[in-house]
Amino acid sequence: MKIGTYLLWAAMAVGTGIIVLLGYFVQIDQIPADSLIGNIFELRLLIMGWAVLLAAVALGIGLFNLFLVHWMKVSAQRPGWKYSAVLIVAFVLTLLLGLIIGPDSRVVLFLFNSIQLPVEASLMALLAITLSLAGFRLVAQRRDLISLVFVGTALLVLIGSGPGILSAEGLFFSFFAGLRNWLVQVAAAGGARGILLGVALGSIVTGLRVLLAVDRPYGE
Amino acid sequence: MAENRCPMCSTMNQETAEVCSNCGARLKPLVFETPPSDQQEPAAEGISPPATEASGDGDDWLANIRSDAIMGSGVDDHAAETDAADDAAPDWLGRLREADSSLEEGPPSEEIPDWMDDFLAAGEEVTDEEVPEWLSRVRERREAQTEGQPESDEGEDWITRLRDDTPDERRAGVEGLKPSADEDESIEQPAPRALDPSPPPDVPDPVPQDEILPEEATPSHEVGASAPALDRLDEDPQPAVGEPMPPEGEMEWFPVPDESELLDAKGLPHVPALLDEETGEKPLSDISDLNMDSIELPDWLGESKSETPSVAGEEDEKPDLAPATLPSWLEAMRPVDTFRSEIAIESDEVQPVESAGPLTGLRGVLMAEPVVAMPRTASTAAARLEVTERQYAQAELLQRLVEEEEREIPPVRAEKRRLPLMRWAIALILLLAVILPFGFKQLGVEGYALPSVVSRDLAPLIDLIGNIPTDRPALVVFDYTPGYSGELDTVAGALLEHAVMRSLPIVTVSTRPTGPPLAEGLLNKIGASYGAVNGENYLHLGYLSGGPTAVQLFAIAPRSVVLSGYHLPESLSEGSVWESPLLQGVHRLSDFNLVIVITAGTDTARTWVEQTQSWIGDTPLVMVLSAGAEPLVRPYFEASEPQVDGILTGLPAAVSYRQYSGLPLDTGAQWDAFGIGMLAIELILIAGGAYGIGLWLIRLRER
Amino acid sequence: MSGVDLTGLSILLLFVGLLIIFMAVDSRRPATFRPIRGYEALKGAIERAVEAGERVHLSLGTGSVIGTDCAPALAGLAILTSIAESTTMSDKPVVATTGDGAMAILAQDTLRRVYSEARALPRYSPTSGRMLGPTPFSYVANIPILLASEDISVHVLAGSFGAEGALAADFGERQGAFVLAGTDDAQSQALLYATAEHPLIGEEIFAGGAYLNVGRVHRASLRVQDAVRMLIIAGIIIGTVLSLLGVIR
Repeated sequence: MKIGTYLLWAAMAVGTGIIVLLGYFVQIDQIPADSLIGNIFELRLLIMGWAVLLAAVALGIGLFNLFLVHWMKVSAQRPGWKYSAVLIVAFVLTLLLGLIIGPDSRVVLFLFNSIQLPVEASLMALLAITLSLAGFRLVAQRRDLISLVFVGTALLVLIGSGPGILSAEGLFFSFFAGLRNWLVQVAAAGGARGILLGVALGSIVTGLRVLLAVDRPYGE
Repeated sequence: MAENRCPMCSTMNQETAEVCSNCGARLKPLVFETPPSDQQEPAAEGISPPATEASGDGDDWLANIRSDAIMGSGVDDHAAETDAADDAAPDWLGRLREADSSLEEGPPSEEIPDWMDDFLAAGEEVTDEEVPEWLSRVRERREAQTEGQPESDEGEDWITRLRDDTPDERRAGVEGLKPSADEDESIEQPAPRALDPSPPPDVPDPVPQDEILPEEATPSHEVGASAPALDRLDEDPQPAVGEPMPPEGEMEWFPVPDESELLDAKGLPHVPALLDEETGEKPLSDISDLNMDSIELPDWLGESKSETPSVAGEEDEKPDLAPATLPSWLEAMRPVDTFRSEIAIESDEVQPVESAGPLTGLRGVLMAEPVVAMPRTASTAAARLEVTERQYAQAELLQRLVEEEEREIPPVRAEKRRLPLMRWAIALILLLAVILPFGFKQLGVEGYALPSVVSRDLAPLIDLIGNIPTDRPALVVFDYTPGYSGELDTVAGALLEHAVMRSLPIVTVSTRPTGPPLAEGLLNKIGASYGAVNGENYLHLGYLSGGPTAVQLFAIAPRSVVLSGYHLPESLSEGSVWESPLLQGVHRLSDFNLVIVITAGTDTARTWVEQTQSWIGDTPLVMVLSAGAEPLVRPYFEASEPQVDGILTGLPAAVSYRQYSGLPLDTGAQWDAFGIGMLAIELILIAGGAYGIGLWLIRLRER
Repeated sequence: MSGVDLTGLSILLLFVGLLIIFMAVDSRRPATFRPIRGYEALKGAIERAVEAGERVHLSLGTGSVIGTDCAPALAGLAILTSIAESTTMSDKPVVATTGDGAMAILAQDTLRRVYSEARALPRYSPTSGRMLGPTPFSYVANIPILLASEDISVHVLAGSFGAEGALAADFGERQGAFVLAGTDDAQSQALLYATAEHPLIGEEIFAGGAYLNVGRVHRASLRVQDAVRMLIIAGIIIGTVLSLLGVIR
């Protein structure tokens, strides 16, 4: 029975994947709606709608999982359980507020603009400090040519993007501005395109593994 | 007081102790209690169990043997004792060895037995050349013997001859045949101890010959007179041991055979059977009645009769066989002072009868009680081992390892974390670099000038926004997280302010849960300056769940994907968002006037570009990006058939947009902070690079 | 059939065919891959963590199951399989975190399957695969707490990250943990190169299954990528030459 269940899940995954995938290679507009193929593509839209719903449900399951982890931490009073308790209180409060008065109410918006927005903005500012420190240490830690080129390139782009160069006039400053544009729009773009191609190849093969049921991330 | 060593645990006990004080084993084996005289088996006359020195301690002699074996130490002592024993017991084995060396000697000087006559007779027919030398010598002697002996029809009776032998000769013969104590030693003692032919000291002599061969056991008649010939054993078996000898006249069972009967039909000497053909009984097996000296043994067995009585008086001759020399490693393995039972094996008759265990009633078995029946504690240290220095060292090492395993290792104190001073320093520098420009105006410091270099992408975008019709709404996608709001609010704010300034209706949507609040916050802030109101000038469709799939579905049929809006005005609170006048005539993506995607991630930008390509139609698509996402989105803008119609990336582009679109330039402080911060980071990178290169050079020089 | 993208279908069939072929010849002609320092160091780091009774943390990123950011997360699940097999019987098994609910469920399924195959299902805990936060920065904000409370000494980032990935890597470096970080976003890869001890550049994240010996299908997948990459390179060169010559526009 376990083998049968596994085959059922694999068949469902493969079937829905093929139906959705084929929709990208066929122009839907040119398919008669009353034909079998048309019905198949209608099914595709239905499946995609279900995927959207499942993604939202999965978000809810993830939030429940998050609540459960912190609840267990508070129950066992593991180190840091007080922070988990604060999280649980805030979680429940926000959830109740959203359910009762709506997620777009003034109170919830106030909480969002007063707590979440500043916290995440601060983390972004922390990222700037972290990257500055990482750039400072990079050459000292790695001591290789690539690290030197990395830091040098970052420096040139920063110089070319800064107000000091952009607001100034002259050949020297325009040189750096042009250099920055070339580095960003030619060198970096070309390298990024190559990376994108490789990532696209990896994504295709990864998806094919799932479609062919040789890779089963959905368990058994 | 002499001590007694326990055979099980080698613990020394008192001499009188019966059981070991340590393990409880019996020190003195149980002695078979002889039944009453009417039940007792008829024993041979003159044969009695070994006498004991003290009543009740029947096995003291055994204990003495054991103790002497253990206490005795050194080969010299033992050799001295063996020498003494040699004086007491004949070394018939030694004589055998000696005789072996004298293989080529002539036949013994004793009489040639009659049974050899047949061989001699048969050999006479053989030529002298074919006859072995030893046989010829036997014949010669035989002839000499027959000449010297009177002939008698009744013949010389070998029993008669036996009776003629002196008691000493008989005793010597018996002793010669009986396994002596020293023989037991040589047979029973296992390697590696060198065979010690001599018995241990204080070993009592075997049963004295007088007791074994009492006068009463001898036949009543003279052996030499009426004893049957040796070669007539088969006719009349001798009575069993213990039975009184019949008188001479009654020894009809052993008639003297005729000579003619000694030869069979072929003329070969006839060796009489040892069993009585009529009765099938064994003939007299009492060795004591035989004079073994009269038995002529071949040269290779070699026994000298004359040597028998004088063995005791002779010193031990050097045996032919050299004592075994053990290799040193084998010698080292030999346990020292190990108890060895040196009990003389006695005949079954004198051995006690087992009274316990499954072998009850049997003789000659190991006593069960001291081994099995008696409970005892486990013996420890049964043997002392010779331990070398290396073994001691290894044992100590093993013990140390075991102790280390049991020892509790104190917890390793956590390494005290160093203060992140460098991180704090950089944070302070950047903080000052960003905060200080906000006080430039108060300080009277002139900040950075506006950018004079304008990107070639800016003008088309400004024209696009400036010329877009306002009859249909523009879709603005807020696909960035609150963390990027600091940059993207500023960048997108310029473009949105331009759109709001032109009264372009705006409809927002987001594929992130935090998108709608960000959209409301930004548009509320911009609209406050231009009087734009939610529900009239802009509207929020809310959160679009489902990622790229939802984007494609929205592009195909937005009304079926978005069912309710976000932060709707009260007029639309009870209805659908699609009932708003702003969304009249909007049924698909291409019905929007303009699509603006605000995002910080390249994936989101590419998703909107790729997923909406088939359904966007002629609606222009504009990307408002973070500076880091520009390299990957620009190719869509710069392609021969561009899929992106406008791109705005980074704060410099936003400042330039404001500058050239006629919007108010309220980003002065922000522009200065941006510039000073960039300068600080540049200086930090230069310092880090210099530090790294210097460190690199120093280490190169050190190598 | 009209309106069919035959080119796309042909490319798709090419991928499928190559995948099947390379799976079939994997045993007869085993592949030889260039060494990737990060994966080689990862094996030793996991062994040391297991020996020392410390935990391994795998972050599957902030991408969702539906979307292009699902692919690196699926590659991260393959790495999770390998790590979980090594730490199933450890005192502190691996913990997988993500910023998406559906991905957390996939992580739990993967761990449950590994425990089941190791006949250690009673040791499986559903909280070993968890969602730390619904947004990228809220996810990253929970990582320092996780690193400190769970005694993590190996910190692997294998999924879809934005700029917050650099923060996550930096938190691991400050904890003194072994950090291996990889993502599909080129912008984030640049940030990870500066902050992570062992960054994975390009599509190296998709090679995790092959380098960690998850299965022959992963080795075959990597060979398919290499083969098609060569075809693309050849096509680019040929197209460039032809366009230079004016043959094509």
